[in-house]
Amino acid sequence: MAENIIIIGGGPCGLEAAKTLRDLGYAPIILEKKQELGGHLRKWDRLFPEGVQAKQVLKELTSGLKGIEWHTSVDIETIEKSRKGYTVTLSTGVSYNSPALLLTNGFKLFPAEKKEEYGYGIYDKVITNADLEQYFAKGKDNVIKKPKTIGFVHCVGSRDEKVGNRQCSKVCCATAVKQACEMKELFPDATIYSFYMDLRLFGRNYEDMYLTAQKKYGIRYIRGRVSEVSEDIDGSLIVKAEDTLLCKPLRLKIDLLVLMTGIVPENSSASLAQQLNIELGEDGFYKPKDTILEPCMAENNGLFMAGACTGPKTIPETLSEARAAAVQIHNYLNKSWISGIL
Amino acid sequence: MRERFLVGFDPFVLPFLCGMVFVLAYCLFYLVRILAQLSAEDRKKFFKSLLLPSNALKNIRDMFLDCLIHVKLWKRNPNLGYMHSSIAFGWFMLIVIGHIETFMYVPGKAGLFYYPIFFRYFMEVDNQELKGSLLFFLMDFFLLIVLSGILLAMIKRIWRRFFGMRRTTRLSITDHIGLYSLWAIFPLRWIAEGFTAGVAGGSFMTIPINMLLKNFMSNPENFNIAWWLYSIALGTFMFALPFSRYMHIPAEILLIPMKRAGLKVYHPRKGFALAQIYTCPSCGVCIDACPMSANKQNCKDTTVYLVRQLKRNNARRMNAMSNKCLMCGKCQEVCQIGLQSYDIRMNIRERARYNIQLKHNYLASYNPDIKQAKVLYYAGCMSSLTPVIGRSIKKLLSIAKVDYTQMDEGGGICCGRPLILAGKKAEAQAMIAKNTEIIKASGASILLVSCAICYRVFKNEYKLSGIRVMHYTEYFNELIKKGKLPITKGNVRYAYHDPCDLGRGCGIYDEPREALSFVGGLAHAEKERAMSVCCGGSIGSLTLNHEDRKPIVEASISNMLYSNPDYIVTACPLCQKTFSMYSPVEVLDFAQALCNGLQEKDVN
Ligand SMILES: Cc1cc2nc3c(=O)[nH]c(=O)nc-3n(C[C@H](O)[C@H](O)[C@H](O)COP(=O)(O)OP(=O)(O)OC[C@H]3O[C@@H](n4cnc5c(N)ncnc54)[C@H](O)[C@@H]3O)c2cc1C
Ligand code: SF4
Ligand code: SF4
Ligand code: SF4
Repeated sequence: MAENIIIIGGGPCGLEAAKTLRDLGYAPIILEKKQELGGHLRKWDRLFPEGVQAKQVLKELTSGLKGIEWHTSVDIETIEKSRKGYTVTLSTGVSYNSPALLLTNGFKLFPAEKKEEYGYGIYDKVITNADLEQYFAKGKDNVIKKPKTIGFVHCVGSRDEKVGNRQCSKVCCATAVKQACEMKELFPDATIYSFYMDLRLFGRNYEDMYLTAQKKYGIRYIRGRVSEVSEDIDGSLIVKAEDTLLCKPLRLKIDLLVLMTGIVPENSSASLAQQLNIELGEDGFYKPKDTILEPCMAENNGLFMAGACTGPKTIPETLSEARAAAVQIHNYLNKSWISGIL
Repeated sequence: MRERFLVGFDPFVLPFLCGMVFVLAYCLFYLVRILAQLSAEDRKKFFKSLLLPSNALKNIRDMFLDCLIHVKLWKRNPNLGYMHSSIAFGWFMLIVIGHIETFMYVPGKAGLFYYPIFFRYFMEVDNQELKGSLLFFLMDFFLLIVLSGILLAMIKRIWRRFFGMRRTTRLSITDHIGLYSLWAIFPLRWIAEGFTAGVAGGSFMTIPINMLLKNFMSNPENFNIAWWLYSIALGTFMFALPFSRYMHIPAEILLIPMKRAGLKVYHPRKGFALAQIYTCPSCGVCIDACPMSANKQNCKDTTVYLVRQLKRNNARRMNAMSNKCLMCGKCQEVCQIGLQSYDIRMNIRERARYNIQLKHNYLASYNPDIKQAKVLYYAGCMSSLTPVIGRSIKKLLSIAKVDYTQMDEGGGICCGRPLILAGKKAEAQAMIAKNTEIIKASGASILLVSCAICYRVFKNEYKLSGIRVMHYTEYFNELIKKGKLPITKGNVRYAYHDPCDLGRGCGIYDEPREALSFVGGLAHAEKERAMSVCCGGSIGSLTLNHEDRKPIVEASISNMLYSNPDYIVTACPLCQKTFSMYSPVEVLDFAQALCNGLQEKDVN
């Protein structure tokens, strides 16, 4: 009978790893806390850089799950390590055993309310990148009504020691460029500003996306952090910022402000790490055995991790890691059989 | 009772005598120096206050209660109180009784410093003599008291938890010399007097030890060695005293009348400040009290060590230590001698030179158009960065139908506090002057402030005669009591955090609590009111970064969660922002909490 492998988290990473493990002859079990599989991918509309439909990718990932056991809406109560591997017990009392454990519990979007000076949750016309994706997907929104000026604020909750996050979230620059272009297509008359510290467009074709944004769509990039947002009597927003290239303070009236909330560790990462004795980095993401040679392996035997739970990643990176982790689990189990550990 | 030797002198008294003369000369020199450093005006004030009979009485009372009995320490920590007062008061009584005896029996020797101290060596008593025995009994009794204190002092060094202290001061070399010689003095005295007890009489402490160590003590060769050692211990202590923490013994006698005269610190290590520095006994109470010590590496920057660096005049460390401090005022609040660390640090900051030119010429052209109203609301930069606060306040004001206007809508001038805290008091005056002009021109009778930091400057640095400066906690409490705010009490429990600038800074503790009690229950924090713990976000610190502050903030939050409140409430936007970063329970601003209590029909 095929060996069970427990995967915690049914986002893109967990799904892809499960499929690879199944193809290698195992019987993976995905435990997902939400009602549906798919993770953050469910929230996106189109993906950078080419604008592929997220729905399509999601469909691809969630179909063909034959041979994979998956449970949604689960609540993990305890995880115990034994000589034979791991035992995961749910709050319903059901428990699962497996010789190896894969963590793919992903990330959390930075709660924009924490950056209070930007007024999310206080001013109606301040929304986040995730809200905007929902708007793109649904095509309607109570707040977005023919905005004349739109502002995008980069690095909200990232690269900001004041909120306790020093790291760069990596994907939000590309998302901001993508979303700015999409908005310009929807509202050709709108003036769009993007407030950034640095533009980090590291991936293949990302730079082209940026050039298009400037040349074709005329997005205005302003280097400088937004310091504070307030509401005018007519309900529009007043944004104070500094153009650090021109060394000038700015005050702009804006109809819609989109906050590029970044990637922070999932809430459950800390408690899982504690139960499993995994070290967390200063940024709160899991620390792998070796960041260069063994990015998918924990220090402890039989424990693996992949995807955004070990730091910000794009979907292709996540999927590659998922496959790599699956192969490593396979190798680990083979070796263990030979040396008689299991 | 009679003299054992006619000469009344023995060479063994010399170590003590030299030490005593040295200490007296040193103290006299510094007394003159400190008085000379005072400004002419302060000096006059000081002497005038000294001469006032009512003050003189109070000074004597304070000297007795503070220097000998250590009343403040008793209140904070009875074990520590007993330890200090047993040594101080016991020793004092030994000296007093020594003098009484000398005056009674050998008045001719009363002028000799050493005679009362080594009384037992020079005098013998007949056990039949009631008066003499009684005096000897008293001496032994106080020796016992001092010895018990010394024992506790030893325990404190090894097992400080016995005294409920997490950390004690790390001593300097001279402190160690002073400490060990002090520990040695009284056991040696006991032994020395034990020797004489065999030949010249003693009491319940000295006779038994004589009998116990009969063989050793009946050897006349050991006799003089014991008295020599006792005198050397005394002498060592006296020579170490001016360079150690024991300088607090004479210094406090000067500090008490200086404080009563109401002098002000004008230089970090001269005059009044110098008297304070010498009076600090390095008790270390300020280490545990300091919020910075949540981060162990910051312990070395607490006030007790600042005092040490001030003594050494180490400019680099002095600057670093004063710049790191959160200026929360807690150390001053717990300090038994009331060391004015806030003023001392401000004086250090004011003396630091930076290569920055501040240009304030734009102020002249800034002339905002402000509507005339009864209440002028100043939000300040921090309230602008926390829009919920501004919103809640405006909601409350409009529900209470207050005729108000905002002074810094869409931008205004800083209250000046950040500059003041950076030691730029003179530069801050430009802003203070402009703001004063705007406030006066507005015709308002109340200046309403929602930030504890701004409030402290408006209250203390501005001259706004005729205008009532009110913190929003005071103002809304008044509105509630006048029935202008339709508020109902919910069944949530709020833990109220006293912002440093509002509580210790301006003495406002009751108004916010009273107002909150109209909307919900109050949950006590572990330490509150004057003992409240700084949130850790204070702009008072110029050098602590976010990472250094994290453990400070977390420690402060856990203090607030002491009795499991539903919310933490604060009355300062900076505390609210700081707590929100790490708090597991929601952190509300005072105005937000009041809005929660508004009756439904009034909301919009
Ligand atoms: C604004 C934004 C836009 C993006 N756009 C793109 C894009 O256009 N193109 C691109 O390539 N990438 C994009 N990304 C990145 C992409 O979202 C991530 O790479 C991807 O979601 C990572 O997948 P994951 O499975 O590791 O994590 P997640 O997607 O976070 O999935 C983790 C899953 O684990 C579950 N889980 C968490 N904790 C537990 C627990 N304790 N028990 C059980 N289950 C748990 C969660 O519910 C979730 O379903 C974007 C990211 C952001 C922030
Ligand atoms: S990817 Fe861009 S927006 Fe996101 S945190 Fe990094 S620099 Fe900021
Ligand atoms: S400053 Fe005050 S509390 Fe601190 S060691 Fe000195 S006397 Fe004690
Ligand atoms: S003012 Fe506060 S932070 Fe500064 S030394 Fe005193 S207790 Fe510590």
